[in-house]
Amino acid sequence: MQPAFAMSFLGLAAIAIPFIAGIVIALLPRAAGRWISIGASTLSLVATIAIAAVFASQGMQSQTVDLVSIGSCTILGLVFDKVSVLLAPAFVGIGLIVTIYSLSYMSANNREHPDAPRRRFYAFLTVFIGAMPGLVFASTIVGQLVFFEITGACSWALIGYYHTAESNKGAMKALIITHIASVGLYIAAALLFINTGTFELTAIAQLDPTLKTYVMLAILIAAWGKSAQLPFYMWLPSAMAAPTPVSAYLHGASMVKVGVVIFARSLISAGTVPEAVGWVGVIGAIVTLVFSFFMYLPQKDLKRLLAFSTISQLSYIFLGLSLSVFGSQLAFQGSVAHIFNHAFAKTLFFLVAGTLSYTTGTRMLPKIKGLMKKMPLVGIAFGVAALAIAGVPPLNGFFSKFAIFAGGFQAASGNWILTTIVIVGLIETICCFAWFLKVMDGALLGEPSEVVAAAQPVPRSMVVALVVLIVMTFVSSGIAAAWLG
Amino acid sequence: MDTSQTLLVLMAVPLSASLLMALIPSRRASIRVFESIHVLSITLVLALGGMLVASVVVTGETVSAVGLWFRLDPLGSIFVALIVVIGFMTGIFSLPYIRHDIETGVVDSPKVKQYYLFFNLFVFTMLLVSLSNNIIVMWVAIEATTLSTVFLVGLYNTKTALEAAWKYVTVCASGVAFGLYGTLLVYADAANVMADPNQAAFLSEIIPYASQLDPKIIMIAFVFIAIGFGTKAGLFPMHTWLPDAHSEAPSPISGLLSGVLLKCAILVIIRFYTLSISVVGPTFPQTVMLILGAASVIFAAFAVFVQDDIKRKLAYSSCENVGVIALALGFGGPIVIAAALLHCIMHALTKSYMFCLSGNIVMKYGTRDLGKIKGVIKTAPATAVLLTIGFLALSGFPPFAMFVSEVMLFLAGVATGDIWLVIVIALALTVVIAAFTLVVIRSVLGDAPEGMKRGDVPLAALVPEFLLVAVIIWFGIALPAPVVAGVESATRQVVQASGIDSDQTLLSGSLFAGLQSSIMDE
Repeated sequence: MQPAFAMSFLGLAAIAIPFIAGIVIALLPRAAGRWISIGASTLSLVATIAIAAVFASQGMQSQTVDLVSIGSCTILGLVFDKVSVLLAPAFVGIGLIVTIYSLSYMSANNREHPDAPRRRFYAFLTVFIGAMPGLVFASTIVGQLVFFEITGACSWALIGYYHTAESNKGAMKALIITHIASVGLYIAAALLFINTGTFELTAIAQLDPTLKTYVMLAILIAAWGKSAQLPFYMWLPSAMAAPTPVSAYLHGASMVKVGVVIFARSLISAGTVPEAVGWVGVIGAIVTLVFSFFMYLPQKDLKRLLAFSTISQLSYIFLGLSLSVFGSQLAFQGSVAHIFNHAFAKTLFFLVAGTLSYTTGTRMLPKIKGLMKKMPLVGIAFGVAALAIAGVPPLNGFFSKFAIFAGGFQAASGNWILTTIVIVGLIETICCFAWFLKVMDGALLGEPSEVVAAAQPVPRSMVVALVVLIVMTFVSSGIAAAWLG
Repeated sequence: MDTSQTLLVLMAVPLSASLLMALIPSRRASIRVFESIHVLSITLVLALGGMLVASVVVTGETVSAVGLWFRLDPLGSIFVALIVVIGFMTGIFSLPYIRHDIETGVVDSPKVKQYYLFFNLFVFTMLLVSLSNNIIVMWVAIEATTLSTVFLVGLYNTKTALEAAWKYVTVCASGVAFGLYGTLLVYADAANVMADPNQAAFLSEIIPYASQLDPKIIMIAFVFIAIGFGTKAGLFPMHTWLPDAHSEAPSPISGLLSGVLLKCAILVIIRFYTLSISVVGPTFPQTVMLILGAASVIFAAFAVFVQDDIKRKLAYSSCENVGVIALALGFGGPIVIAAALLHCIMHALTKSYMFCLSGNIVMKYGTRDLGKIKGVIKTAPATAVLLTIGFLALSGFPPFAMFVSEVMLFLAGVATGDIWLVIVIALALTVVIAAFTLVVIRSVLGDAPEGMKRGDVPLAALVPEFLLVAVIIWFGIALPAPVVAGVESATRQVVQASGIDSDQTLLSGSLFAGLQSSIMDE
């Protein structure tokens, strides 16, 4: 079997199996939903890992395979390169972990949100898992647009799952705000097609510099919307009304990652990128970064704190990606590695928050004290996640942030404005570290507070999910570094 | 039977079905008699129409009958296909729906007769619109669609239904009168210049003389036509009758009205639009359509949002989508003709599907008030799933049919340089998304009102809906080659007839490839 054929077959399977499973879940009795969901995401994960194996055995040559063409015009295609082959298994795998975690979380034993999961939970979650490899592998802008919109619809359904006034509002905000941003992607698609006659992203390279700037900026706007950057960030804190495993997936490996992935893909495809794009990206990133740090300070709800932390972490990624425009390959690789690393760390952190809700019935930080004594595993997971996000070695966040800043200084050398911006970013990481130390000090150490002392035991499927993620938080940067070279 | 005879039989079947029903006394005959005649008629129409459309698409040749009077060209065949397919689906859906009305005592047997009789007459008049080559007959046929449907709109005899029927007949009749002025102006002008003035009413004969027609007169005529037939199509600000009529009619009829009848009016507009472009150049007709289309989309988007009656919401969404089609014609150029025609198809399927589903809701809840419709997912799970898919499809989400045509529209708008208008329209469509997703959140999900029994509508009502949703997903994921071929040849016809760039090898091979080359040439 030809490797290109094998990879495209596997890629299609990774996308299609969860989609079909989503429909099947809707048709079958409720109890079957969770197992079909786990089965489908496992198969999808196997397919993405198999792609990585084939890809590595081929000497990591980038390849594009056209799937749906009308005449000579490619509508949908798959691209296999170092970035997409690395990210797809991470996104699908985290989807699987989240599904496993949901087995215990979405139950009547949950102290904060007792619930028997209705079919739509697993149906939409599974479709979401399928849409992620679709987006990552898409080689055309139409393909990106399709999966962009599908992830929007899935997140809408999942955020609104509890059907309270608050969650409905959160769901609508997520859908509408990201859809407004998506207009950028529609415009980019139209400009690209009209000027080159194709939807293939690699055609961005053929555009003249002015048009290229417009197309890239239009994509950047769509990316900001999905990745909850200013001026579109509002939906992300509201999306906290989602069930926590869903929040974990939205923040770790799906919704917000859609934005950075499409921007990264456009940078890969564009050849030389006009500096204007870099400037807009860098300035947007640093403004969001500083803004989100100040939003940390008043947060008492662990999940809301994490929401702003996600916004700032994505700003680092945008910062790195935009700095790469000024000629630093290292900053680009650091950003891609950070997409990968942050996925595990942030998912872990959310699942910790979810475990606290489940066992103690609250996720309000002032009420949570002394986790290490009562629930050492959760305490360790909390600490690992917080330190990884803050970028402390030897956890994964350190390595990718280091690459972003090292690359940033390299790119900014001789330009005092850029250098200042990179230094501001660096200061932010230190402040973030200090703040998380304070949070950890409060939550982990000391005598258990009342709610923590009365906590119920952590169910097995949660333990599995937490352990896998703790391990990945240690090793993922090694994987990313080895893979990206 | 050759194709031209088939064409006549196609029109004769629904006409004779309705005449036959008229002769049968409703008091004596059981409703089964009417149902059987109805099913036989719509099935035959589907079979004959399907055959004819297939032959036109495959051979690319126009079928004509009775000299120049009736013609099935590639453009018309798209609309004939819509009439026969959606007529069949809504026709089948009518059976359980009307049965339910009989059970609840809303209609009695004379009403059942009235329903099926006018349903078939309605199908006949729509076929007449799309098959007529004589512009005067075309106008008459449009008027006839109003007359045949007004009794369907007023079927339930309630105060609001009668009001809607009156409003419908007065607004449309007076509106379409403008269409008559326009039509007559074209006829008079053509009769002046044509070698044989007796043929001046036949559109196919006028087109070769386009260069000799008087541009001033044609401009005036086109404005009359846009207003007149625009009224029938539901364009803002002549749309006022539409939300009332479409919401008061029985749901299958709403589906047929919104899904197909509006498109028939669009077909008439496209025919004159083509002629006008070849006479006065593209700028003027396009500007007229652009203004009407943009105004309709923006106005209707907000109107959709504020309605709290499910069928009125859907009706305003039809205004919005007809606006989208008009807007596409306004952008001009070959891609948009294709986009407009595709949108006609996609919207017809989606909207008739949604009106059938609103019929499920009415059967189940006995109301159209969204404030009272709660928790469909608990009371009628299959309907709830279908509704959710439908609202997402109607909002233009992938992988459903309307996404395809909307993307093409955006593309076309940017191609003609109207990028800011495209952005405004895209934002207006976001309002529609908000409106529909809120309906899902508020009415489809949540808890059912107390005392509602769980149980879906009859299977006979669900089957046509499942078929339609399958088509909507199918067209969204992979547009079948015959549909592409049909749209292509219709686009080619419009482009050649309007003479915009007749030498362009527009559609060699396939739609997108052709669009691609046409873009590269520019």
